[in-house]
Amino acid sequence: MTEPLSNLNDLDRVIHEPSRLLLVALLSSVESADFLFLLKESRLTKGNLTVHLSRLEEAGYIQIEKSFRGKFPHTEYNITPQGLSAFEQYRKNLGTIFDIKKDSA
Amino acid sequence: MSTQIDTAIKRGRGYWFVDGFIEMFAGGLLILLGGILLLRGLAPQDSFLAQFISVAVEIAMVKVVGIFMAILVLWWLKDRFTYPRTGFIRGKRMSIVQILAFFRNGFLVLALPALGLIAAIFLLRPLQDALFSMPIWFPVGLGVICAVICVLSGEWLGLPRFRLMGALIGLTGIAAGAWQFVIGWANISVETAIYRTFASVGLLILVSGVGFLLSGVTTFLRYRKENPVPYQDEL
Repeated sequence: MTEPLSNLNDLDRVIHEPSRLLLVALLSSVESADFLFLLKESRLTKGNLTVHLSRLEEAGYIQIEKSFRGKFPHTEYNITPQGLSAFEQYRKNLGTIFDIKKDSA
Repeated sequence: MSTQIDTAIKRGRGYWFVDGFIEMFAGGLLILLGGILLLRGLAPQDSFLAQFISVAVEIAMVKVVGIFMAILVLWWLKDRFTYPRTGFIRGKRMSIVQILAFFRNGFLVLALPALGLIAAIFLLRPLQDALFSMPIWFPVGLGVICAVICVLSGEWLGLPRFRLMGALIGLTGIAAGAWQFVIGWANISVETAIYRTFASVGLLILVSGVGFLLSGVTTFLRYRKENPVPYQDEL
């Protein structure tokens, strides 16, 4: 396999999905965020958001903390060091791929 | 795509300013401080009013300590108004190393050129000239430094309106300096120079405060229009 194609295959498929990429980017700049913040910013449906967050949690990229604020249940999500590292690596890989494409064009 | 990712990252950073409350509070505090300074600078020296305002400045300093109370009020407001509408986030915690790096970079980018400029003024001109012309160069320097901080903060937080605020602060600083230049600074006493510096810096702070207040109110009205009621689950 040539170098550019091998770089393409190195892309993290969990993060590569646009909605999950957006969620990881949102979480990367905060300590934690609640479901409503992610819902409003991502403009996903509640069902879609839940699925994508579960996928990120399965990959070990985010952690979910459930608590109560007053009488109401409150769920916060925070990115793990593994998730942050994967996000940074993804951006690096993406940059490399586009650099190679620019050079070969 | 990179731009959109960067925008998403900045959304988290700038979320604290999403409802305009902070700008309104900061604007109010700046108007208070700027107004006191301006009055102290313009009032006849050694008059009762000057003495009164002098005390008022000290009271204002105590009020600055009251920022802590303002933070509590802000927290209460956000808890009741903002978080139920657009959600809650916790800001990124900074490590000691990151805090030190922040202050080091701030010093290198802002304080060092400013200190260099001030040193040059004092070295190139007789000391008295530099002191008597303080009402002119001080507000200009302060305005430009604050404008740069405002614009850089806006870029980091993803808040374009801070560019406008930066321009307002910078131009007000220059205008305050120009105002003092037009009045003239030859044959004035040290006391007069200090009082006039108070007045020009007071004007700068006052106008900046009005700018922040208006920016906060505008942001708040837009936020309330976009999010009129707390989020409710669809049935």
